[in-house]
Amino acid sequence: MEIFLHQTMVKAVVGEEARLTSAEDRLSRSAIPAEVGLVIGKLSSVLDRGFVFDLIPTPSNDAGEPACSVLETRDDKKKPSKSKSQSSESSSLSIDSDWVAEHARQVSRMLLGGVKVVGIYVWASDSAFKNSTMILCQAIKAVSDAIRHLDPALDEALLIHICYSPRRWNCRTCLLNSSITSSSLRPCDFKLGRVLSSLQRFKCNYSFNFRLPIYSKGESSRQTFTEILRQELAVHEKELKSANAMIDGYLVHNDEPCNTEGEHEIELLFPFMKDIRAEATKNVTGILHFGGSIYSYAYLNVKEPVSRAVADIKADITRSLQSRLDIICDEAEQDLNPTDVGDDEEAEILTIPISKSILNSSTKACHLPLPRRVLVPWLAGTHICDYLQPFESLEVVKERCMELMSMEHSSLDTSKISEVETETSLMVAESMWDVITPASSAASCRLEGNVERTSREDGNKGMDNASYASNVPMMVAIFVLLLSVILGFMLYRKD
Amino acid sequence: MAPHSCEAATVRVLCPKLLLSGNQPGALQWLIGSPFFPPFTVVSTFRCIHQSPDLDQESDDLRKLLPKGFEVIGGLIVGDSDAEKSALEAVRAARRLRKIISEGGELDDEKIVGASVDAGTGAIHFFISKTEKLAKLEPVASVVYEEDKSGKYLWENGCLLHCELPIKLPFYFPASSPSESKKMFSEAVDAVITQFKEPNVVYIAETLNKASGDVPKPVVLRGKDFGFGADASNINRLPAAEDQVSDIISCSHLCLNSKPAAVVNSAENADKIQISLMLNRSEKSPTSGAPVAEYFPAMEEARLIVVDLNLDVLTYAPKELPLMHAVSNLVIPALVDQLYSLTKIILPHLLMEHPQLRIYHFNPPGVLHPITTIYELNYGETEMKQVDVRKSLHMRLGLPLDRPLLRTANALDLSVNDDSRSNTKKRGSIQLKEVHIGIPSSGVSEGVASVIQGSYEYYHYLQDSFDDSGWGCAYRSLQTIISWFRLQHYTSVSVPSHREIQQTLVEIGDKDPSFVGSREWIGAIELSFVLDKLLGVSCKIMNFRSGSELPEKCRELALHFETQGTPIMIGGGVLAYTLLGVDYDEGSGDCAFLILDPHYTGGEDHKKIVNGGWCGWKKAIDSKGKSFFLHNKFYNLLLPQRPNMV
Repeated sequence: MEIFLHQTMVKAVVGEEARLTSAEDRLSRSAIPAEVGLVIGKLSSVLDRGFVFDLIPTPSNDAGEPACSVLETRDDKKKPSKSKSQSSESSSLSIDSDWVAEHARQVSRMLLGGVKVVGIYVWASDSAFKNSTMILCQAIKAVSDAIRHLDPALDEALLIHICYSPRRWNCRTCLLNSSITSSSLRPCDFKLGRVLSSLQRFKCNYSFNFRLPIYSKGESSRQTFTEILRQELAVHEKELKSANAMIDGYLVHNDEPCNTEGEHEIELLFPFMKDIRAEATKNVTGILHFGGSIYSYAYLNVKEPVSRAVADIKADITRSLQSRLDIICDEAEQDLNPTDVGDDEEAEILTIPISKSILNSSTKACHLPLPRRVLVPWLAGTHICDYLQPFESLEVVKERCMELMSMEHSSLDTSKISEVETETSLMVAESMWDVITPASSAASCRLEGNVERTSREDGNKGMDNASYASNVPMMVAIFVLLLSVILGFMLYRKD
Repeated sequence: MAPHSCEAATVRVLCPKLLLSGNQPGALQWLIGSPFFPPFTVVSTFRCIHQSPDLDQESDDLRKLLPKGFEVIGGLIVGDSDAEKSALEAVRAARRLRKIISEGGELDDEKIVGASVDAGTGAIHFFISKTEKLAKLEPVASVVYEEDKSGKYLWENGCLLHCELPIKLPFYFPASSPSESKKMFSEAVDAVITQFKEPNVVYIAETLNKASGDVPKPVVLRGKDFGFGADASNINRLPAAEDQVSDIISCSHLCLNSKPAAVVNSAENADKIQISLMLNRSEKSPTSGAPVAEYFPAMEEARLIVVDLNLDVLTYAPKELPLMHAVSNLVIPALVDQLYSLTKIILPHLLMEHPQLRIYHFNPPGVLHPITTIYELNYGETEMKQVDVRKSLHMRLGLPLDRPLLRTANALDLSVNDDSRSNTKKRGSIQLKEVHIGIPSSGVSEGVASVIQGSYEYYHYLQDSFDDSGWGCAYRSLQTIISWFRLQHYTSVSVPSHREIQQTLVEIGDKDPSFVGSREWIGAIELSFVLDKLLGVSCKIMNFRSGSELPEKCRELALHFETQGTPIMIGGGVLAYTLLGVDYDEGSGDCAFLILDPHYTGGEDHKKIVNGGWCGWKKAIDSKGKSFFLHNKFYNLLLPQRPNMV
């Protein structure tokens, strides 16, 4: 393990005093013997420092059981001890790692740039903690695996132990290798201070507009809509990483910290019409138009260089697109599973959601609006985000914040949720020839707000309505055209 | 003609050579000026090559060749004694050409310079044409020739804006109807041009600096501040003045040569500003909402073709011009013109292999401003078609037809990152260049010096840690000669080592294989074999039975330096030398020889070389009465002939 000493690890961790003290108070007031949850914050390799913003307990799982409980090893393993007094030298923790990982996956979708799930915490006795290193390592591994696709650079995590007898905080860093063992854990300095109030804020409006050729391929390599989008997101991420940036109108040159107060605006610059996607002569079955505006946000520690803010904004954009696609896919999974209609094949074909459809020349024009981002006020003037599907209301956001982020009902006010992105309007076109150039798409009329806000039950119907509605003006146009031809013909005949 | 015009014009001629065509009657030349100079200032002149009545080919060529910031301001024609009648012909042609180039944006009352050359006497007469309708020309008050300070005038007040823009342009057409491809491609090109003026385009201007040091911060110009939207068709209009700082920043903000100390007299050391085009994806667009993915089928099989269009434009702007104005009125129109030029070349090959078009900028000798060319390099630059292209360009610019001046190696170096280049230079050659510059004079009073033309590298003993002392002098002389051909861009062959020279002689059958790796001397004949084999260069050889005969041939040697200008190798019964020039007084017969001695064994120290006499003028008989060329030895002189090529 000595070789890993070369890797930079955070040497000290500062926790937000107000949040952590209140978490400690809450835990000590409660009689629960053990709790597991997520550590939200940021790790800076440049500063060799970690910052903890908040601790979020993992809610009970679907079966209503807590994610973490204490086991008496000499007893029957399945019987968790119920009170502190029973904990002894032989007790250990039982953690539902998959559930904690799922929690991390959902929470990381709700975090803006520069804020991440940086590890897990446990509230447990000293002995239970000591006896559970393997379990904790497994939990960290599960969490990091669950969020890695949103944060590929992830290489270390924090394990915070809040010990209740004696009362003290302990922080360890954990290198994320293929195998995490007790030797991956290293103790580090931990103290409380003010972290959130000094964060710098960076904003970026990111608008993109791609026209991706869908190549004619053999039957075997047919891809679904979302598979193609996933591929595109990977290309896009690469492109985004090499983009130049301006902060408040000035090109980012040097790597100094940003000294001015207030919200900073980042603009991203890309090479002019040098599309890395374009390949040599090929046959094409259609075009995928992928575009829209993303409201991106990132938080930076005052001492971090501005290049970090640019990287965080870029990562936030990538993460946000990824999350939206994940939500669409989760949705599709949920819809597919219960409708197990059996031998009625036709019905099954009809229920295939757009996201699962295969794009080829016989596919009709179809639209897949991604959910839009909303910002929810969080701690000390910071925000978290959530995504709204066309059929969802802000109440859903409120519920998710309470369940996943452990926010209190009283602190949530739907009127304070900012709808930073407008609802998508869809392009009116039937074939790719109407949309091949940006100019032609600007000319073709877009239908504003055609996506109806309906209840969750008939969500798919809502989307179908959208594509149907987009055809209406076209049909009217054709009708008018036909009418004028007939009229003209009749007038001509009269002469 | 009475001087009735109250504002009798003065024509200023800045270019050193006005008459390119010789005295062929009817030969037409375009006079080039700049909208930023006082009227009737002739910066340069191009020969008209396609003198057809419609001038389409001519305008096409000039649009490619002439950087924006310069324009045709008149014509010059070789005519007869009726100067005004001939000049009127030149004026009419110039007006026609201007109309085609400006695509109808030209007004009839632009003032045009007309000049006629008397085929008999060679005298040039200038006239001014005030409007197209008037068949009468106005005489000019005076003609001032200012070629001596012309370079300074151009580059002290002006700078170059360089913009490279590699575009990958995809376009689609129905696979069943390839005939539609041209239309679809043209539409895609037009869409690119619209993009140049979109509000989300960002033009970044930065100093193109070769030396390290303090450079001004880049200036960011945003498309939305240009005011293209208001009247996109007329980009010649000055952008509306807004309270934007970028509006008033002039080009001089990014120029380093503003300091009076700097000497600038050519495009090479002129101030250069690099313009980069970027797309700002953070420009808020009112119509777009949260991301959406939409699929549109082709209905029928469609075909995608990606065309590489590597735009690279150079424009000239006066330093006081606002940057924004320079970008909107010079750089963007230049990009548009070049895009159309490239499109026109590619269109006939659209569905086949596309021509590999590369753009180069040159600053040929005698032409005050840079020129731009589009070369098609699918088969390299020595292909006959490309040779013809260069020949035609040489003709147009009045350049000699026997030397390569517009090859890719001659191109202006406008690369942003100069570090890599200087590194290779350091590694590639350590030899000093043109060591004869700054040596003491020959001491031949009344003598006329004739020296080699162009640059060379000084090769001598012990270089590259190779011990050839005592036998390698002729090899070194050959290396110097080959370096001359390299630096004059006749060849890209690297300077051969001793072993490579020996290998060549074995290959052609002149020597036995054992010769390779030996320390045997070679002479003038062997050198001529190697030059012929490696470079295809032929040589004249002059034989002298005695060194005393050499001064008699001074006139012939002077003629060689004037017409061929190549270094001469002196060989024979003694040590080998390289001869770089002669200084000859026809009256007295006194003469001196400019000798570059390969026997020098020291380091690359110019002072040491000159002080030691390793490069210097040698009188045939020095002040002590000693002869430089030994009377009891024979001598062979090898005179490489300059290849007749472009």
